[in-house]
Amino acid sequence: MMEPWLFKAALFGYLLSTGGYLASIVVRRVIVARASTWLLFASFSIHTLFMALRWWAGGHGPVVNVYESLSFLAWAVTGGYLVFQTMTKTRVLGAFVAPLSFLLMTITSAGITGESVVPDILRGYWVPAHVIFTLTGEALLALACLAGVMYLLQDRALRNKKAFRFSRFLPPLRDLDRINHLAVLWGFVSFTAGILAGAVWAGAVWGRPWQWDPKQVFTFLTWMLYVLLVHQRLAIGWKGRKAALLSILALAVLLFSLAGVHAFFTTVHDFS
Amino acid sequence: MIFHEKMHIVLVGMNHKTAPLAIRERLALSCGDASRAVSDVRGLPQVNEVLYLSTCNRVEVLAHLNEETAGIDALRSFILAHGNLSPEELEECLYVYRDDKAARHLFRVAASLDSMVMGEPQILGQVKEAYRQSVRHGASGILINKLLHHAFRVAKRVRTETSIASNAVSVSYAAVELAKKIFGRLEGKTILLVGAGEMSELAARHLLKNGAGKIVVVNRTLENAVRLAEEFQGVPEEFDRLEEQLEEADIVVSSTGASGYVITEAMVRAALRRRKNRFLFLIDIAVPRDIDPAAGEIDNVYLYNIDHLQEIVDGNMKTRMREAEKAERIVEEETLHFTEWLNTLEVVPTIRSLKDRADAIIGGEIEKSLSWIRDLRDEDRERVEVLVHSVVNKMLHDPLTSLKDASQDDGVLAYVAAVRDLFRLDRAGKSRGRHGKKDEKEKKEEPS
Repeated sequence: MMEPWLFKAALFGYLLSTGGYLASIVVRRVIVARASTWLLFASFSIHTLFMALRWWAGGHGPVVNVYESLSFLAWAVTGGYLVFQTMTKTRVLGAFVAPLSFLLMTITSAGITGESVVPDILRGYWVPAHVIFTLTGEALLALACLAGVMYLLQDRALRNKKAFRFSRFLPPLRDLDRINHLAVLWGFVSFTAGILAGAVWAGAVWGRPWQWDPKQVFTFLTWMLYVLLVHQRLAIGWKGRKAALLSILALAVLLFSLAGVHAFFTTVHDFS
Repeated sequence: MIFHEKMHIVLVGMNHKTAPLAIRERLALSCGDASRAVSDVRGLPQVNEVLYLSTCNRVEVLAHLNEETAGIDALRSFILAHGNLSPEELEECLYVYRDDKAARHLFRVAASLDSMVMGEPQILGQVKEAYRQSVRHGASGILINKLLHHAFRVAKRVRTETSIASNAVSVSYAAVELAKKIFGRLEGKTILLVGAGEMSELAARHLLKNGAGKIVVVNRTLENAVRLAEEFQGVPEEFDRLEEQLEEADIVVSSTGASGYVITEAMVRAALRRRKNRFLFLIDIAVPRDIDPAAGEIDNVYLYNIDHLQEIVDGNMKTRMREAEKAERIVEEETLHFTEWLNTLEVVPTIRSLKDRADAIIGGEIEKSLSWIRDLRDEDRERVEVLVHSVVNKMLHDPLTSLKDASQDDGVLAYVAAVRDLFRLDRAGKSRGRHGKKDEKEKKEEPS
């Protein structure tokens, strides 16, 4: 059984990459950032191998319990970033992504090693499809939010004029806007697919695909916000600051529907 | 007998560091006509010579006064009246330098050490133009001539001996850097050049060099637009089509002589709607400003005026401080040389150095002829030496007498300067050691 070893290797890789990215900001050498990106890519590959082996060995989808979800989220965020990185050559985003993945993986490490027991109702293909698509979507939307935050920082630096020197760490506005746009677009599609898969599963197991449970209400609200954002971008021609702001707001609501809902409401979406 | 003409070099002025844009604007507007300003100042009774330098970042009046206090007051009130300033504003913005400090300031200005964008090359051209004006109006004399030529030499030394200009931090460079912060790559971006001006053309050139694809030139005078467009291989457009052009352009460089806003907020807002919020980078190099500052508040519009660009450049500048320190040392050195020259503008030292020079020449020539002089009898050798000395002394007698006589008049400065120049007294001295040696070497080579 080489999974635990692989998981540790991936975790360690994320840590190294995090250190590398942070160091690259301090020493301002492109080579350091480039090495960090390769490290991140290596960690991502190991992580992928880990999940694939686990899927194969376990005989069920890779994301059943909360730990596996976090691990998958880290994987999706990293993967999404690596794709954008090759598209836009903006390594600085890695300084945000690598620590995030490392953090998620650290939390994961607390419970990942045990065998996951899959309740009967969660068996089948719709549940993994639901979880994988929503988590991938959420990872991309989180990336969009990160790009949005960086956009706002760069925008402010350019507007303040004086703070210009700090903006040297940040990618050009156009690249950030493009990452934000693409991440929202793909994230939205994946997120929507995930919700649909969940609805199909709910229709089969609970008899009703949608029942306006608090979790579903907030998810719907989140989804509407992204509909609005995609619409404003594609139809109205929003660009830049407004789109960045809305993508940040939408992610805040998304995070609440992901985690906050469970603290304040009882929901049918509770399988622990 | 020691004569010292009442010679006061005074420099009065304000620059981008001491005066805000709003005040410089007013001064630039009213003093825009430099040639009138020169003749006005020249007309003041306390002023012997004057240089008037006015750019969008500074107004400097360098004058040779025959009476210091009254002269400075006269210059102050000249600026006060022309800039339509309040006395408080004047007090706040104006600086006054005397003698060596005035020279140092001029050197620093010419060497672009005092520029908003340190190391930018335009200022030297502007100083040269100001000097030309001064000469044209007969407002330059020995002091201004000497000072300015010295200033040009300082600028050249700074340019060649430091790398301050080679990797210049300039407005245009800052503009390119900013454009890259916004657009990433400049490939395929369109530049709109509004008006003309050395700095804006330079910015356009830099942007093109860094990949910008197309340039459109708009000018009140279509001929100018056509000429500029030809130069950049761009497209000339009528001025009334400016508003439409805002829709197409990605980077706008504006530098017109208009007194009001050429590009209003409403124009930018409308253009942005038509261009579907694509980023628009506005660069306003004009003083007074061309683009309504409110336009910079619009989302996806980034407006930089000349003062903003300075802020950025100041930041970049820190990395070049070492180069600047080198340049400052050159300026100090040259200021010292100038002061030495200034001090020699007295009759007695000039006579002494002229005699010293004559003796040095005689000594040198005799030494060269030692081979045959050695063969002479002692008597003959003495005779030869006496002969040589008396010839030289006879030659020098009349000029020296005239010089002494002239020291009673006001015009002695011209004589002293002429003598020093004709006999190259300043170049053989310790202050210009290298040149001196070279001169002697050339002389040695002459007879052979």
